[in-house]
Amino acid sequence: MPQDLAEVYRTTYRALVRFLYRKVWDAERAEDLAQEAFVRAVVHKPDNARGWLFIVAANMARDEARRAARERRHLTLLTAEPQESRSATDEALDVESDRARVRAALDELSPRDREVLLLWDAGLSYEEIAAQTGLARGAIGTTLSRARRRLVQAYEAGKPGEHVARG
Amino acid sequence: MSHVDDGTLHTYLDGELAPAEARGVDAHVAQCPACRERLEEERALITRAGELLALAAPPDRELPPFRAGDVRPPTRLWWRVRLPLAWAATIVLALGIGTYLGRGVEQGRRAETAADTAPARLRALEAPIRPEQAQRESRVAARGTARKPAAAPVAAQGFVRLDGERDGLKGSPIGVDTARALLGGDPLAVPGAPIRAVYRARELGYSAVVIVEQVLDSNTVIEVVNRRRSPMALDQVVVTAAPAARADSVSAPERAVPSRARVADSLAAAPAERAAARLSRRFANLEIQISGPVSSDSLRKLLELVQPLKP
Repeated sequence: MPQDLAEVYRTTYRALVRFLYRKVWDAERAEDLAQEAFVRAVVHKPDNARGWLFIVAANMARDEARRAARERRHLTLLTAEPQESRSATDEALDVESDRARVRAALDELSPRDREVLLLWDAGLSYEEIAAQTGLARGAIGTTLSRARRRLVQAYEAGKPGEHVARG
Repeated sequence: MSHVDDGTLHTYLDGELAPAEARGVDAHVAQCPACRERLEEERALITRAGELLALAAPPDRELPPFRAGDVRPPTRLWWRVRLPLAWAATIVLALGIGTYLGRGVEQGRRAETAADTAPARLRALEAPIRPEQAQRESRVAARGTARKPAAAPVAAQGFVRLDGERDGLKGSPIGVDTARALLGGDPLAVPGAPIRAVYRARELGYSAVVIVEQVLDSNTVIEVVNRRRSPMALDQVVVTAAPAARADSVSAPERAVPSRARVADSLAAAPAERAAARLSRRFANLEIQISGPVSSDSLRKLLELVQPLKP
């Protein structure tokens, strides 16, 4: 791997995994896809590797989601993947339900708001987010303020039902 | 200055506002209690949103070595360059078998057949491309290989084709550690059954395929196939491999009879193959499949038993 790409790998890999994880919701898959994105970067040698990686990752996650939907229809015989987080302790269950609730809250956002929020959380600057999403740089702050508000509201709204379910 | 809108407040708090504008916000907030209050609210909102996202973060792991870099680019190269060669070898093999069988069936035409072979290959290069048929053709060829082990060494690049049920190339034996590296985790096998060998294999749509051969008893050997799905759309590679379709045109007159018979029996075998293909399960990021000369019930039970091979 070229020196500069090695540096990008060091600084960006985890952020890319985090970004992908919120799209595929499977840590292993997120890591595989991140690795794959870097492999493609090695082959394509993009000028702006960081931005390029996030674009490729977003595309791969979208393809992955489509493929997963197809597989769900076809591969009924495969046994369910054991979830490591399904341990019996309450703490683990809490972590799991928090995650599920955040995931549900993220689903409430419009695709564009969600994308901008996830890119910001992955460490991209307004400039980079604008370049990636095609939004004007000046619109990023407004988009983020809306996305954050919706996320928090949707999360809080999801809470009571969850408590009932647990009680 | 008028009140500061939400977007500007977030841009300001994110440290993304141009210095001149940021100074304007500072000045306004200093003399506007309402905006000061909103600023604090938005700050809290940003913190809260960040906390929530942190709840939905993947497990924090150490930065892995760039594992893909040293394994996969050669893989891609292999497919691009070698696959057509492998196909070419398959074609030659198919021709060989055709010729061989032709000898038995049509004794009288032996000399003629041999003479035809080379022109047939040339004709093949100009023939229209028809992938499915070619694939079937090559499977037929592979079957022939299985029945006549003497013909096996013809296979390309040190890889021999597997039987017709699996569209892959079985490589040379590897160690368990190599298998582990390829799969990105422990390969799976049936506990308690001695491992005779571990092979690497190639299969479209998978970034790594490892086959564990295990001995159940003196004359029963099963194969546990560990497949790691490739995140890449390898179907594209199938398109690259389309020239293989030329095999089709090689099925030209001299071996039409035997090959058609074989296609027919491969079609007859299809339901059984489908049943076998269903004997697979997912295990973390691996797809596991078992095959062997035992009943599908037994295979299904064995499949339930597979466990990761711990170091």
